[in-house]
This record gives sequence, C-alpha cells and structure tokens, in this order.
Amino acid sequence: MKSLLACYRAVIKTKLAERMAYRTDFAISVLLMLLGDFMIPLVTLLVYRSGASFPGWTLQEALLIQAVFTLAKGVAFPFFFGIVSTTLYHVREGSFDVFLLKPRPILFLAMMNAFDLDDFGRLISGGVLFGLALSGVPAPSALHWIQFAVLFLCSLLVLFAFSLFLSGLLFKWVGSSRVYDMFDSMSMFGMYPGTIFSKLFQQLFTYVIPIAMIGFLPASALLGKGADGAWLSMGMSIVFCGAGLMFWHGMLRNYTSAGG
Amino acid sequence: MIEVHNLYKTYTTYTRGSSFKETLRSLFKRETVLVPAVKGLTFKVEPGEIVGFLGPNGAGKSTTLKMLTGVLHPTSGDVRILGCTPWKQRKRYVRNIGAVFGQKSQLLWDIPPLDAFYMNKAIYAIEDAAFEETLHRLSRLLEVEEIMRKPTRQLSLGERMKCEFIMAMLHRPSVVFLDEPTIGLDVIAKEKIRSFIQEMNEQGVTFILTTHDLEDIEQLARRVIVINDGEIVFDDSIMALRNFLGAKKKVRIVTEQPSDWYGIEGVTVLKLHSAKDAELELDTDCLPLKRFIQLMNERCTLQDMTIDALPIEQVIKELYGHKERIEKVSIVRGSSKSHHLITK
Repeated sequence: MKSLLACYRAVIKTKLAERMAYRTDFAISVLLMLLGDFMIPLVTLLVYRSGASFPGWTLQEALLIQAVFTLAKGVAFPFFFGIVSTTLYHVREGSFDVFLLKPRPILFLAMMNAFDLDDFGRLISGGVLFGLALSGVPAPSALHWIQFAVLFLCSLLVLFAFSLFLSGLLFKWVGSSRVYDMFDSMSMFGMYPGTIFSKLFQQLFTYVIPIAMIGFLPASALLGKGADGAWLSMGMSIVFCGAGLMFWHGMLRNYTSAGG
Repeated sequence: MIEVHNLYKTYTTYTRGSSFKETLRSLFKRETVLVPAVKGLTFKVEPGEIVGFLGPNGAGKSTTLKMLTGVLHPTSGDVRILGCTPWKQRKRYVRNIGAVFGQKSQLLWDIPPLDAFYMNKAIYAIEDAAFEETLHRLSRLLEVEEIMRKPTRQLSLGERMKCEFIMAMLHRPSVVFLDEPTIGLDVIAKEKIRSFIQEMNEQGVTFILTTHDLEDIEQLARRVIVINDGEIVFDDSIMALRNFLGAKKKVRIVTEQPSDWYGIEGVTVLKLHSAKDAELELDTDCLPLKRFIQLMNERCTLQDMTIDALPIEQVIKELYGHKERIEKVSIVRGSSKSHHLITK
C-alpha cells in the first residue's frame, strides 16, 4: 500500500509538471470548465424565475441536487474519469502497450495516467455551487450529513463504474469518442429530482442503473427527504461498480495493440 | 531462459470494398477475416544471447515480441521466460524485463527524461541508492548527463532513443526486448546504441531485437531468426546466414586482356564495368577459389582482384523473395550445413 501511494504521488507530480508546461492553456481550460458548469443551474434558475418548477422541490433544493451532481463529477473527472480519454487515445495509437509493461495493476496505471489537472475546474465549480445551494436550505443535521457522506461515496462508485464501462468499450470500439455523449445523455437524469420522472424510470435509475445516486439521492439525504429505496440503491451501486471492474478487465483481453 | 513452443496468433479483422456501395453496405454487414500473424513459432534462447529477429514488414516480428513481453495474449501456444508465462504472471514477469519500442515512447513529451526516470523509479519501487547508481552509470555510458534535464520535445531523435534505453534499463532487467531500436537514427547515434547494447550484454543481459537494419544484426547478434509470413524460415548464426545461398563470394576482378565472363560454371556476372573490369558472384562449391584464380590467369591475366563475402542484404533479399517456393527450411541450430530450401 505504501509503495502504491509513493507510486501515485510520483506519477501525479510528473503529471502536474507536464501540465504546467502549458500554463495558459491550463488556465483557459479551467475557466471554460467553470463557465460551462454554471450553465445548468442558471437554466434551472431561469425556469423557476419564469414561474415553472419541479413539482415538490423549491429552487434551492433543485439547485442543491445539481450542485451535488456537479461536485460528484468534480471529484470523479480529475481523479479517475479521465481513464476514458486515456483508453480512447492509447488504444487507438497502440501505446497502451506501455502500461502493460509496468509491474503495477493496469487499471491503477491507467487511472494515474488519466489524472487531469484541468478537471479541477469542475471540482471548484462543484464546491462553489454546493456552498451556494447549501446556504439557501435549512442546516442539515449530523445524521443527514453522515447519510449524505455515505451516499456521496456511492455516487463516486457509480461514476467510477461508468468510467470503467465506457473505457472497457473502447478496447473493442476503438476510437469511439461518442462514448462521452452516451454518458452525458444517461447521467443527466441524476441532476433532476427523481420524482419528476415516471415510476418506471425512477425504478430503472434507482435499482438497475443507479444514476439517481449521482446527485438526487445524496442531495435528498442532506435535505432530510430520504428517498425511497436509497439503501437498496446503495447496494446496487456497489454491484454496479463490481460489474464495471469485471467488464473492464474482461474487455482488456480484446486489446490488440497497433501495427509495429 | 526463453522457451517458445508452437506459438500462434490470429487477428480478427474486417474487410470492406472501397466503392461507395461497398462502404455503405459495410455499415450493416462486414466480412470477418482471420489473419494468421504468427504460425507455430518454436525456439529457445539461452541466457546472455543477443538474438536478432529479421523479416519483411508484416512478417509477424512485432506481434511475436508483443506476445513475449506479455502485451498480447497468443491464440495458442506456450511461452516460458524467466520461469513465467508473460501474459499470465504479468506483474512478476515485467519487473524483470525491459522493452524499447522504437516507435512508442515511454518518455513524457513535455517534461525532461529525468522526471520520467523518477516516475519509473516509483513504479518499479527501486531503492534510492540502486537507482542513483544505475542512472549515473547508464547516463555516463550513453553521454546524456546534461540532455536528460531538458524537456523531451527539445531532444533529437538519437538523444531521445538513448533516454528510452535508460528508461527501460533502470530496474536492471535480465532480458530486454528491442523493437527497431535504431530506426531513423544517424550513424553516430546507431553506433552509440549498439555499443551500449554490447556492453550491457557483456554484463549478462539477454537481448531480443527486431530490426530492418542489417548492420544491427551483423554487429550485435550472434544468432538470427528470420520470420516470413508468420513462420521461422531461418534460425542460426550470422555466418550461417551468409552461407545460406551456398558458399558464395563477391569478386571484383581487373584483367590485362579483355575477357568474356559469361558461360563459366559457378560464375554470375553482377556488374560489367568494362571488358577488363567486372563484379562477379562466385559459387565456390561449383568452382573453388584456387581453380577460379587459375582459370582467370590463364584466360586473361589477372591484374587486380578483391574478394568479399556476399552482402547480407542480398541473402536476406533472397530469403524474403523465395516466399512462394519456400515450403520449409530445416532449422538445425549448430549445424550450418544442414539448412536448405525445400522447394515445391
């Protein structure tokens, strides 16, 4: 474990040095990411200002769901979601070989290599949005904070599972950059109150593909609105993550490198 | 040390035509094609050997190397290297091997190689003292002490390749795989790389290298394996490879009187410079050298003569070119007289 941490620290240090070679590009990337992430709550704000609303949810509550969603992505993207772009690039180029030549778990190496400093913009915007949204709702109790923490961890597990499924697909669907669109279209259901969807969709996103866990369920816990099936969905998130790990390692066998 | 038995690798690819109609059809239906890249390779490599893999493009050299490094899973067959099956015991195995792929860099483009070396130190969990000692020794040997502190993107190809070698050797591997390590390098850089390989080999490191540069083979490898169309067509020493087409010599001859070189058994005219000056290929099995000199003297009085072994390029060209008619070459290591072509 100590050796793994030392390895992680060394690689992150190297990635930081690598990114700092282009500081202007880094600054612009972070700024654009911040602006992009503020657009979604802005739309929600405009919807509520125009008199419409998500039934049963105040503006501040709806914003909190979206803030938790952004925060979860803000943690996932810099630390592990980049594995999708890493796989996309290195499988197409055949340079995934280099990971296979190192005496460490391949997934660990791919994740470390995927560490993306630019995506810290998402973490900042998620943090800011979370703080703003939280200031508009009654202060959560300690129990609600604990429930939130557990469910937020599960939301990271779900995002990790998504990154594994998408990355795994790229060993077979070499160069398919549209996997990001697939993720965006599916994950967006997590940033709205689950109750606005039909019963069938609610069950699908809670118990089958636990997208509700990404934003809706942890935010509900923080608001003291414990949603139905949250604990079952938590179990499902763990299963989903396990399935993602199995899928990724299974798909890795499809790697065929590129011509020499 | 390295035992390869009946190794096969078949790729699945898809074909489609180039016309608009065929392209459109391929959206719905593609024809699956099985491409056998490696067909039943069997060989052994002893510790401390330098073995050169030669073969035309697409012969299966790189695929073989990728299976030996554990990067690719074979379709079937066994490989045991350092007591491991590369793709099954990957982590334990790769700790003891090194690899330099001439066309795939392990360095990081925007930062100095030295930073990448430190990253490798952490990945391989190399002790500080051992790391510093190895880095100092290798960087001095390859003369990169200064340049390894510059960003990789500012280095020349030769400098980058030297750093690739350091990257691959920092953890002191006992077997190193090199895939076209001198590709695109100038003569001086090639020389440096070759002498580095020789020095490492003298310290007991086994090298397996693929290359198209025959000088790499001639200067480094004591043993050559030629692969063509996924099969081994030759496995023996470099000397045996030279003699592959028989005991042939290249002769440049200058005579006092004009002579007709055609029609002499065992002599093929390669280039006619003038009636008194010619380049010939002499098959000494048909016409021994002593008899050839005697004959030339009798016919036209020798003025000058140089004799060289047949260039290795010509031998290789012959080997590759005979693809259609080669059914199999007997592979008998240690008996250079035993290899021969079996023609259909």
